[in-house]
Amino acid sequence: MGAERVAVVGVGQTKHDAVRGDVSIAGLVHEAAQRALDDAELDWADIDAVVIGKAPDFFEGVMMPELYLADALGAVGKPMFRVHTAGSVGGSTAIVASDLVAAGIHRRVLTVAFEVQSVSEAMWALSFPYPFQPPMHAGAGGYFAPHIRSYIRRSGAPDHIGILVALKDRRHALGNPYAHLHEPDITFESVRDSIMLWEPIRYSETCPSSDGACAMVLTDEAGGDAAAASGRAPAWVRGTAVRSEPTLAAGRDQVSPLAGRECAAAVYREAGITDPAAEIDAAEIYVPFSWFEPMWLENLGLCDVGDGWRLVDEGVTQLGGDLPVNCSGGVLSTNPIGASGMLRFAEAALQVRGAAGDHQVDGAQLALGHAYGGGSQFFAMWVVGAAKP
Amino acid sequence: MTDDTSLRAPLVIEYPFTRTTGPVVGAFLTALREGFVVGTRASDGRVLVPPAEFDPVTNTPLTEVVEVGSEGVITSWTWVTEPVPAPQRPAGEEPPWDPSVDAQPFDRPFAWVLVRLDGADTSLLTVADVEDPAQLHTGLRVRIRWRAEREGSIRDIEAVEPVVSGEDLP
Repeated sequence: MGAERVAVVGVGQTKHDAVRGDVSIAGLVHEAAQRALDDAELDWADIDAVVIGKAPDFFEGVMMPELYLADALGAVGKPMFRVHTAGSVGGSTAIVASDLVAAGIHRRVLTVAFEVQSVSEAMWALSFPYPFQPPMHAGAGGYFAPHIRSYIRRSGAPDHIGILVALKDRRHALGNPYAHLHEPDITFESVRDSIMLWEPIRYSETCPSSDGACAMVLTDEAGGDAAAASGRAPAWVRGTAVRSEPTLAAGRDQVSPLAGRECAAAVYREAGITDPAAEIDAAEIYVPFSWFEPMWLENLGLCDVGDGWRLVDEGVTQLGGDLPVNCSGGVLSTNPIGASGMLRFAEAALQVRGAAGDHQVDGAQLALGHAYGGGSQFFAMWVVGAAKP
Repeated sequence: MTDDTSLRAPLVIEYPFTRTTGPVVGAFLTALREGFVVGTRASDGRVLVPPAEFDPVTNTPLTEVVEVGSEGVITSWTWVTEPVPAPQRPAGEEPPWDPSVDAQPFDRPFAWVLVRLDGADTSLLTVADVEDPAQLHTGLRVRIRWRAEREGSIRDIEAVEPVVSGEDLP
C-alpha cells in the first residue's frame, strides 16, 4: 500500500434478482452507485474518478460497456478505468480504486461492478465448442466438480459438509434484504434431496444466476476522518493483494492453488496479521459451490490443511461462531458474477463499519474480503478494519 | 498456402442475447413500434434523440419523454457504393436469428445519414433510400418511411426519403 491511507466511506448495492426486468444495465449500475454516494453523503461532483469491473463482455454481448455507462456513473470528463479479471474482477476492481487513492492520484474514487446474467447464459458461454476439441458442455460446475472430489478424497470429508455450507449461507441470506435467494423453508433434507448436477454438487449447493451491481466510495485519510467525525464510521483498508497463475500450468494444485496461498499470505502481511483465524472477525469468501468454503478456508490459511470441513461441521463458520463466513449469504445466495467479488469486499467493509444490519457480526473489528476467478487462477483479497492502519 | 490435407471445420460464433431496455430505451422502442419517435429532455433543455437514459452533465435519470417529428434534416451522410451482403451460412445450418439483421439495410447502394428530426437537438443515425448520391446534401429535408410490420426495433424505420414537396432547409 502507498503512503496515503484509504477509507471506504460509502457502500451501495442493488436488490439482486434472477431478472431485474425493470432496469437497463445503465439503470442497474446507477442504482448501486447512487446508494453508495448517498451512504457517503457525497454528490457526483465530489468524485474524481470511476473504476468499473465486470466479467467478460460476451456475458452480456456489450463490448466495452463502460463507455456507454459514463453518463450513468458520473464519469463524463473524468478518468474512467476498466478492470478485467474474470470472476475475481469485483475484488481486483476495488483494489485498483484503493491503489489510486493510496498512490495519491485521486482523493475520492467511485468503484462499481456489475453483471446482468438474465440477458445471456454465462454458464454455457464458458463452454464454447471449439473445433477438434472434446465439447465439455460442462459450465463452471462441471469444471470445478473434479477439484471438489479431489478435495474430498484428500481430506476424507464426509458428504454432508457441502449440504451444511449451503444451508448456512441460505439462512444467512435471510438477514440480508439485498440477497437474491431468500429461502426461509430450506432444510438439510431439502438440500440433500435436491438434484445432483455435477457429482458431488447438488442443485441447492450451487450459486444462482443473478442480475446485480455493487458500488463503493473510497477516499483518502481526510475523507475517512470526515466521515468518522460526522458519525459515519469508515472501513479502513488495512491490506490488499492480487495474485494469478496460469490455468494449465504443469504440477498446478487446483484444489489449493499457490496463487491463493500467496495472495492470502501477502494480504495478512500487509495488514500486520500473524494469526488470521484468531484476528479476523468476519470473512466474506467467494464460494459459488458449497464445497469451496472448506477448500478456501484451508487455502486462506484460516485453518490447517485438511481441517476446513471440520470448521464447517462444528458450526465455527456460522454467524455466532468463532469465524463467521459469508454472513451476507455469500455467492451461494447472490451471484451477479462481475459484482460478486466486490460484494465480498463491500460486505467485509459493512461488517467493520457496524452497518451489516441483521447479518452483523457483533463488534467486528477486522474483516477479510476474498474473490477468485477463472479456473481458480485469479485471486484478489483485502482486509478492512474499524481502526486506522 | 492452403494445405488440402489439413482438417477443417466451421466455427460459427453466435450467441443468443436478450436486452432489458429499461424505462427510456423501452419507451423509444415502443414508440417506434407505434410509428413515432421520442427523445428525452436533458437538464439543459435539449431534446436528445435517440434518448439518453442519464443526463450527460448532471448524471441524473432523464424522465421527461418528448415526442418529435417524423421529418427532419440531414446533418451528415455517407454513400455506400457496395453494400455488404448477409454472411453465407455453412451448408445445412439454419441461422437461429433473422438473417436480415446481419446484412446491410439494402442490397443496392444507399446512404448512412444523420438526421435531426423536427423538435430534436441531436441527430439520429439511419438510412437514406435514394438512387443517386446527387440527390443528397446536408440540410436536405427528409421524412421517415416506416416499415409496415413493426416490432419495436430501430429497423422499424425502413429509411428516410427526401420530402418532395417541402423546402430544403439550410
